[in-house]
Amino acid sequence: MEYKENQAVTAEVEEQQAKVEAPELMNGSHALIRSLIAEGVDTIFGYPGGAIMPVYDAIYDYQDQVNHILVRHEQGAGHAAEGFARISGRVGVCLVTSGPGATNLVTAIADAIIDSTPLVCVIGQVAKHLLGTDAFQETDVIGVTMPITKWNYQITSADEIPEVMAKAFYIAKSGRPGPVLIDITKNAQQEMMTKAFNYSCCEKLLSYHPRLTPKREQVEKAAKLINEAKRPFLLFGHGVKISGAEKELMELVEKAGIPCASTLLGLSSVPVDHPLYAGWLGMHGNYGTNVLTNQCDVMIGIGLRFDDRVTGDVSRYAKQAKIIHIEIDPSEIDKVVKAEAPVVGDAKQVLQMLLPMIKPNDHSMWRNEFRKYEVLEDEKITQRELAPTTEKIKMAEVIRMLSDKTKGEAVVVADVGQHQMMTARYYQFKKNNSFITSGGLGTMGYALPAAFGAKVGAPEREVVAIIGDGCFQMTIQELGTIAQSGLPVKAIILNNNYLGMVRQWQQLFFQKRYSFVELQNPDFITIAKGFGVDGHTCEQRADLNESLDRLLQSDKPYLLEVIVEKEENVFPMVPTGASVADIRLE
Amino acid sequence: MTTYTICVFTENTIGLLNKITILFTRRRINIESLTVSETERKGVSRFTIVIRQDSRETVEKLVRQIRKVVEVLAVFGYLNEDIAYNEIALFKVATPSGAKPLDIETVNKVYKAWVVYWHLDYVVIEKTGTEEEIFDFFNYIKPHGILEFVRSGRVAVSKSSQSLVEYLPEAEWEYYL
Repeated sequence: MEYKENQAVTAEVEEQQAKVEAPELMNGSHALIRSLIAEGVDTIFGYPGGAIMPVYDAIYDYQDQVNHILVRHEQGAGHAAEGFARISGRVGVCLVTSGPGATNLVTAIADAIIDSTPLVCVIGQVAKHLLGTDAFQETDVIGVTMPITKWNYQITSADEIPEVMAKAFYIAKSGRPGPVLIDITKNAQQEMMTKAFNYSCCEKLLSYHPRLTPKREQVEKAAKLINEAKRPFLLFGHGVKISGAEKELMELVEKAGIPCASTLLGLSSVPVDHPLYAGWLGMHGNYGTNVLTNQCDVMIGIGLRFDDRVTGDVSRYAKQAKIIHIEIDPSEIDKVVKAEAPVVGDAKQVLQMLLPMIKPNDHSMWRNEFRKYEVLEDEKITQRELAPTTEKIKMAEVIRMLSDKTKGEAVVVADVGQHQMMTARYYQFKKNNSFITSGGLGTMGYALPAAFGAKVGAPEREVVAIIGDGCFQMTIQELGTIAQSGLPVKAIILNNNYLGMVRQWQQLFFQKRYSFVELQNPDFITIAKGFGVDGHTCEQRADLNESLDRLLQSDKPYLLEVIVEKEENVFPMVPTGASVADIRLE
Repeated sequence: MTTYTICVFTENTIGLLNKITILFTRRRINIESLTVSETERKGVSRFTIVIRQDSRETVEKLVRQIRKVVEVLAVFGYLNEDIAYNEIALFKVATPSGAKPLDIETVNKVYKAWVVYWHLDYVVIEKTGTEEEIFDFFNYIKPHGILEFVRSGRVAVSKSSQSLVEYLPEAEWEYYL
């Protein structure tokens, strides 16, 4: 009896030991999904197809842990993942098939690299033995995306998956974030791993060491310049938001009494009603911020890359100023402007080190100079835009009314063109991390899918997309994605029946030769309704207030089309090749 | 035009050559010569890339962009005076019967070149040296009839007694980093 019991116990123990020792073997597709889950991914934007089907089969088993969102076009997946990443600070994940699936994603990847947006794009690929044979839907995606990814890699065996995925996420989100593309052959998705799935997040690589902590002597040099400055001017960009350094930025600005201005992607990092906020920079930025760029004695640039839309003619840009450039990507230092005091590091860490070295200051005389220009701009432009005498509605008044109604706290996603510039000018951002737009690449069609992605990433926030009639038709199909999700994404089309920005340039620089810029538009509201998204059109100024209320009060996706003035121009404007000091008010 | 030699140390992975060269293409910089091989350390490749450029600033920016490639371990830019460098060339020289015989003593002693393969109708001569030395020899041997000529890319080591010296503001670069 006793012996038998013992035998039974031994058998049980052996069975348990066997369970522990026998590795949990799984196929590559499961390993891929498990890797994503291990990275904390709960949202995937994707579109299935032949070469990625094994992964889609695996997702079927993980629907309780991963929310896969089916888009209508891979470009939509890419921009939605970008919107998601930009609002949440997490890595956006896309899953698409080989060939056309991958090439459709290319625009979004190019957009993400130039706007430093962390993405991991997993792409199906033909089986390893078919590589290079012109197999069905085979594209050399590694070759195609090499110049537009932060890193890309082709996985050809299941065993590689956990390690490569860990590396992919680490590279995408660390340092200056960017898109990573993982091309995974079909055999690697299907075959069993030969070892147990074991995921550990990557924290370090042999090569690639992003510098987060700055060198003290560099920060000291910057502090000295700031403390000695008589007319300091601070410019901040996307890097402040990415690093989450808004609080430290504010402390610096207030302690040293420095007027500050934002790049397009920096908007909303400092509330517009802050007394030291001087405005927006660049081609359609504010009057004072541009003119006084060429009068400051010390320029402090934080987390920006001195894009040509910010600098105008570089040979006449802030030549009188000593430039402090605080930037995480060393290749940006001296790329466009020569920095007297470069500081390589994460904006937040740099500012934390810098703050105690800064002497309190006021600079009230210098600050007042910005006010003078503000008054001028207000008279010449802003008042006319906001209280127009035209019969037709103007873009600016729509944006400002939206701003008032949302108390400047909505997430605003602007597409590309005049409406984008108007949004940047007239929405009064009061809350951090509230503006998403395609800055570097200027991708028309970005806003609708990106706004959807932002809503997925921050469901508690009001998300409003501002879209032009041209842009809207580039990714209009994502209305289907939005309708299927049921998420209350709000979209406003500012319809002037023109590709407005191109028309503006043709008017100003090409003798009004309006070459292919007028659109015969469809009935957008009928189309939206066809997709199951409600909406209406507003043509009269008197109806605008109520129209915006209807848009904002809807608890479902909603499209508001506003018919605006056909030929309005965005001013001020620094024409291409001009100096920032030569900014035009009309 | 100034000649710059860029040494790049990378992980030895598929496609890396492409990741490096597209940076040159995008900036319209022509590669004069390129040599890639594994270093004494396993898994680490060394690229020696020779370019001609007027603007030193362009080269500095290029070096920084190369450094951004994830698999790149280190990048150094040099002027000719900062490095000891050489190339290797092979000459297949015709030696038909009745032709003027090769003066092997001159080939060996004056030009420091060596015959590495004999055939009835030709010999293969190996010449190591700088581009100028190789072309000096080329002109000397040309009258014999060169059937084939091939020249490798440059290989170079820095003259510094430290393991690697940076000529371009790599010292400064280290400083930012």
